[in-house]
Amino acid sequence: MPPSTQLTRFGKAVQGSSCPTTIADLDVLGELSDGTAAPQGIYGHVPFCFHKCHYCDFYSLVDRRDRQPMFVQRLTEELRLAGPYFKRPLRTIFFGGGTPTLLAAEHWRTVLDAVRDNLSLESGYEFTLEANPETVHAELLAVLVDGGVNRLSLGAQSFQPKQLEALERWHDPANVERSVKLARAAGIWNINLDLIFAIPGQSLNAWLADLDTAVALEPTHLSCYNLTYESNTPMTAKMRSGAIRPVENEVEAQMYEATIERLAEAGFEHYEISNWARPGYRCRHNMMYWENENWWPLGPSAAGHIAGTRWRNVPRLDAYLAQGSWPPICDVEQLDADGRVGEELMLRLRLIDGVALDRLDELLAVGQRGPQRMAAIAQHIDGGLLQRTSDRLKLTKRGLLLADLVLADLL
Amino acid sequence: MHIRNFSIIAHIDHGKSTLADRLLQLTEAVSEREARDQLLDTMDLERERGITIKASAVTVHHTYQGEDYQLNFIDTPGHVDFAYEVSRALIACEGALLVVDATQGVEAQTVANAYLAINNDLELIPVVNKIDLPTARPEEIAMEIEQVLGLPAEDCIYCSAKTGEGIAELLDHICRKLPPPRKPITDKTRALIFDSHYDDYRGVIVYVRIFDGSLRVGDKIRMMGTGRTFNVNELGRYTPAQEKVKELGHAQVGYMVCAIKTLDDVRVGDTITLDTNPAAEALPGYEEPKQMVFCEFFPATTTEPSGKKGEYEALRDAIEKLHLNDASFTYEPTHSEALGFGFRCGFLGLLHMEIVQERLEREGGVEIVQTAPTVSYEIELRDGTMVEIHNPADLPDLSKVVSIREPIVKLEIICPTDNIGDLMKLCDGRRGTFKSQQFISQTRQILDYELPLAEIIYDFYDKLKSITRGYGTMDYEIIGYRSDRLVKVNILVNDQPVEALSLICHRQNAEKRSRAILQKLRKQIAKHQFEIALQASIGGKIIARETIKSLRKNVTAKCYGGDVTRKRKLLEKQKKGKKRMKTVGSVSIPQEAFLAVLEQGE
Ligand SMILES: Nc1nc2c(ncn2[C@@H]2O[C@H](COP(=O)(O)OP(=O)(O)OP(=O)(O)O)[C@@H](O)[C@H]2O)c(=O)[nH]1
Ligand code: SF4
Ligand SMILES: [Mg+2]
Repeated sequence: MPPSTQLTRFGKAVQGSSCPTTIADLDVLGELSDGTAAPQGIYGHVPFCFHKCHYCDFYSLVDRRDRQPMFVQRLTEELRLAGPYFKRPLRTIFFGGGTPTLLAAEHWRTVLDAVRDNLSLESGYEFTLEANPETVHAELLAVLVDGGVNRLSLGAQSFQPKQLEALERWHDPANVERSVKLARAAGIWNINLDLIFAIPGQSLNAWLADLDTAVALEPTHLSCYNLTYESNTPMTAKMRSGAIRPVENEVEAQMYEATIERLAEAGFEHYEISNWARPGYRCRHNMMYWENENWWPLGPSAAGHIAGTRWRNVPRLDAYLAQGSWPPICDVEQLDADGRVGEELMLRLRLIDGVALDRLDELLAVGQRGPQRMAAIAQHIDGGLLQRTSDRLKLTKRGLLLADLVLADLL
Repeated sequence: MHIRNFSIIAHIDHGKSTLADRLLQLTEAVSEREARDQLLDTMDLERERGITIKASAVTVHHTYQGEDYQLNFIDTPGHVDFAYEVSRALIACEGALLVVDATQGVEAQTVANAYLAINNDLELIPVVNKIDLPTARPEEIAMEIEQVLGLPAEDCIYCSAKTGEGIAELLDHICRKLPPPRKPITDKTRALIFDSHYDDYRGVIVYVRIFDGSLRVGDKIRMMGTGRTFNVNELGRYTPAQEKVKELGHAQVGYMVCAIKTLDDVRVGDTITLDTNPAAEALPGYEEPKQMVFCEFFPATTTEPSGKKGEYEALRDAIEKLHLNDASFTYEPTHSEALGFGFRCGFLGLLHMEIVQERLEREGGVEIVQTAPTVSYEIELRDGTMVEIHNPADLPDLSKVVSIREPIVKLEIICPTDNIGDLMKLCDGRRGTFKSQQFISQTRQILDYELPLAEIIYDFYDKLKSITRGYGTMDYEIIGYRSDRLVKVNILVNDQPVEALSLICHRQNAEKRSRAILQKLRKQIAKHQFEIALQASIGGKIIARETIKSLRKNVTAKCYGGDVTRKRKLLEKQKKGKKRMKTVGSVSIPQEAFLAVLEQGE
């Protein structure tokens, strides 16, 4: 079983001599069955796209339709298997990708039925689907709404063909507006738009124009990402070879600062480094990640976290389809107490509200690195990157731009 | 039994070690199964780089005209930096095979090594090697040898160390032509130590050549130079497998083990005699090699005081241990504001420096930050005294200095005639003085120049190689010190002088070099939260300036469930990278940046 060879690639090797090949080999299921580490949510991964964008490092295959039925069957099986272990109703479900909206409506019906049959949801739950503006249509939306989906996250990225081209992202910008309207007509009010800035060739003004276009569509939520050059993407290769020139660091900073200002004027709350929401519309699913809660993964390459154990289903569709019961996993990591504290700080401080001082005290009391962390915090408060209010520790405005310097010191 | 002692010498890569393979094979010293290319290059570094670094002595037997000949031969390195290895080997021999590549011809180290042998009164056998190559020109090369070295062309043996052609004849020729060792001139034992190395279990192993008398296991010996006495625990030879013997007799070559724990107790070049019946006079020894290139080694990480043995101590242990195997580099403790505690080391040349650094990292398991190499300077002071400095930082206050003198070399370049013009331009640009020019064949010439060592230690050889498309070679020899208009350039990072970056150079080149160095630093120092000013100054006057703009944004845009581990690793990497840097004021300088001083600005 080739996937298991990746097991010790991250973190410390898992106890015991035999390498686990599925989640059943870790202690995770035990923790789930006594209810102590009940997941708050589920992340499901749909690994199909109709084209591979050049900046993307998500696991996805160019769709050939033929594998959709098998994938759906396997996904529902996984749901059936996992369902009984969830001892509390779920707060959030999120299907991402890939391009979930590439999955045919009839397949979504099957998946959503399986969700209904195997999972229970908290009242006021959030159920998000990622969508490519090109693939949103009324029939699909009807099925989704019927199956409980109440939030749509649209990958708009940019409204300017030149920038979409630079990203090798294939969609007609006009379809964003069309998708928003269709979704709203189908009854989905809660809509996020994903935008990317600092695309090679993009000016500050071009970015602000994109931002205005997005705001005009009245989304409840906006994610604005500085383009990231992920390793192993064509984009990064082009940058290395000099074929494209990344936007100047200074301009990136100006774009980000302008975004913060513009969206505040437009009535959005900035609540995480790259996320803004209308009051009451923060993404619960993502909050779950930043608050370091537990969640469960479905589908190839989906990552999960239960009580300090992180793992990922193997990012290969054939391996995922082949396995009988639990899917094969990889990248298992069980950090020691210190490592977990570092990770939680790294996540929580991404939130604009930062971390509550009570929680911070708890965290700093754990492990060996408490004093070092305290010193680093003091140093960054002095340096103006962190600030302490009466009850919270958080990044300052300057700290937001230089967050990695701070977070690295707290690991 | 007859004995022949000889070395194999040549320009680098002309096939000495491969020829040694054939000698071992034809004398059946190694079986087919044991054979491998350049068998005597045993060090990992030698095998990886395909060069010989350390000389090795072996003993084989050959039957010539029905008689047994014991052949003790030493494969030597070809690179200039290791010339001292060659001179040591030659003292233990009566003859030498001068190997010349049949396609390349006589090159700079061919000449240098041949003269070393001739000056030691050795009989030379010129061997034209690689005749199997389609581009081989054996007769032409033989003529070159005659022309340049005065060895008759008809004396050349033609062979291929690759195919084995001509090797049998060469063996016979060695027995016939090389002189037997001289007769003993005293009945007292005298053995010359021509090499040593350190073994973790047995201590120092010394290599000896017996000139008079003999050595037996159990003998109580005395080192004539140091006066120390030891009991001989083990004697042996490399055949090339280690073979213990009870006795090393007259004129033989072998190794000796006698519980010597530190190299302070032995000196290569010293004479061994018997404690009970000592010789009156020692054999002529060697001149100690003089270190010409200096740099500092610092442990790569010193920032975090940790429980385990300090990085500095680990570096010191590694240096001490390597020094047991290679006494030709020097070291002394030093301290730098930017880099902490470390060592100032002296080397025979740049390759030597590189090899030592690599061996320390590999064999000693330490990570090293190396400062830019410099030469030694003689400083004449107003009070009439003279000091030698190995580090620009040690330059006394200029008001006290009368003159700064730097080492000058006699450089001999052998190159295609076509490249003479460009090479002269190169030498002139490096403050060279033309001396002479001589044809060695219709297409090649010898070019002689005198120029400062500082001008050739870094990239001169690379330049020479690229100008001549690989066909040019060079050799140099220090001929003295000379004063020039030298100045000290300080490099300042945010107004703080960084001694490890300071340099001594000619006033005329100071601006150009400074600009090149600052530009390099600008590329290598990452942006900080604040703007960084880089400046170069001579005695307080700023002569060049660069700025590194401040880092305004450094934040991971996306960190969702599936990203946590990966993003954490990235941050850890960033943090670790920072730890490996040296901090000046509040600026983190990566280790490579300390080599920026080498930028020539051409
Ligand atoms: N074709 C051919 N190649 C040879 C011959 N002798 C040596 N070589 C090649 O020449 C290269 C250098 O050979 P070495 O024996 O390592 O040369 P060396 O003189 O010991 O080199 P250093 O010890 O570094 O000075 C190797 O690639 C050999 O395989 C020969 O007779 N014919
Ligand atoms: S649509 Fe999304 S998942 Fe698919 S390739 Fe593009 S960015 Fe990646
Ligand atoms: Mg060799």
